[in-house]
Amino acid sequence: MASFNARITMPAEARAGEIVEIRVLVRHPMDRGGQVDSEGRVVPRKILNRLTVTYAGEPVFRYDMHTGVSANPFVSFTTRAVETGDLTFEWREDGGATFTRTARLVVT
Amino acid sequence: MIPTALILRSRASGVSKDAPERTGPSFETRSAIAPQDEGYGSGKAFWLATALISLLLTAATAEEIKPGSAFLSASMQRQQEDEARNPGWLWVEQGEELFSRREGAAPTCISCHTDPKQSLRGAAARHPQVDAASGKLINLEGRIEQCRVDRQKQPAFGYESQELLGLTAYVASLSKGVPLTVSAEGAAKPYYETGKAFYDRRQGQLNLACTQCHDGLVGQKLRGDTISYGIGTGYPAYRLEWNGLGSLHRRLRACSLGVRATQFDYGSDEYLALELYLAVRAKGLALEAPGLRR
Repeated sequence: MASFNARITMPAEARAGEIVEIRVLVRHPMDRGGQVDSEGRVVPRKILNRLTVTYAGEPVFRYDMHTGVSANPFVSFTTRAVETGDLTFEWREDGGATFTRTARLVVT
Repeated sequence: MIPTALILRSRASGVSKDAPERTGPSFETRSAIAPQDEGYGSGKAFWLATALISLLLTAATAEEIKPGSAFLSASMQRQQEDEARNPGWLWVEQGEELFSRREGAAPTCISCHTDPKQSLRGAAARHPQVDAASGKLINLEGRIEQCRVDRQKQPAFGYESQELLGLTAYVASLSKGVPLTVSAEGAAKPYYETGKAFYDRRQGQLNLACTQCHDGLVGQKLRGDTISYGIGTGYPAYRLEWNGLGSLHRRLRACSLGVRATQFDYGSDEYLALELYLAVRAKGLALEAPGLRR
């Protein structure tokens, strides 16, 4: 299975009070479960079921995903730049595995 | 009506001589229907109508070939060009990582191809080409595998493996925007002829030749999708139908299945020759890999 991979697109710096758009594209098959693979076995459900984003420790975004979400899901949201800090993105996969990425936003 | 036809005709004659002739077999059958129809009155009117129709058809077939993305919706066109939203770039990233990954004592790709953004720019636009050493036609996937086996002494990734797709997408992305300059001359000539013959030959249970749809019915609908000129400038491409990145040969296999013809293997001689023909057809068009397709 292909490795998890995230592309996070956002400005590296912003002025205080500015609205910044954050766009996140991840590589994940989002197996909805119930399909049969080439060897006749039933594929169990395995999707990323939650994306949570914190900004300088504060939660700013949460998205609960279900089986209707496509493979390699793309998410876009906005937040207000308040202080220089790390945005931490955490995806939670079925089965409990988590993937974390961080990106720094410098506020001038 | 007549002035329009004349304008189109003059545009058609402006196409350079080396452009391959694209006359689909379907057109003869269309103009052959009318003679029995007495309702046309005088023979003169009939011949005028036939001449007009054939003029229009010639103009339509000789029109400039447009890339596959021209047949996408505006929003998908924007998505293809947006590196943040086109999922094909996930594979490009994987390829970029593999490009400098060290495996055992083998040299990495980047240790020979230093500064790939410069040194490999345009490489994808020159493939498929005839390999000087073996004299065989080789495409970008084949070239990467050859490098891996012969120079890096590593086991081949295998056609359509995620690793090879990633590397191909990465190398192809370095040529994004570069016009195709694949040659059909010299050693490539017999392969080009084979590819052209494949493209023009009726095949499968539906008895269809590539040209009948991809020249004759361009712009019309096939189920929910719009038929485009059969060219592969966007490949490897992310297809929504696949939920992933796939090679041109995967796309060709889907077309073969669609007309219920023999599906050839990935990297087979038949598809390589066809890939060459398609690349020559698309001469001058910019490479747009990783493309986004329905």
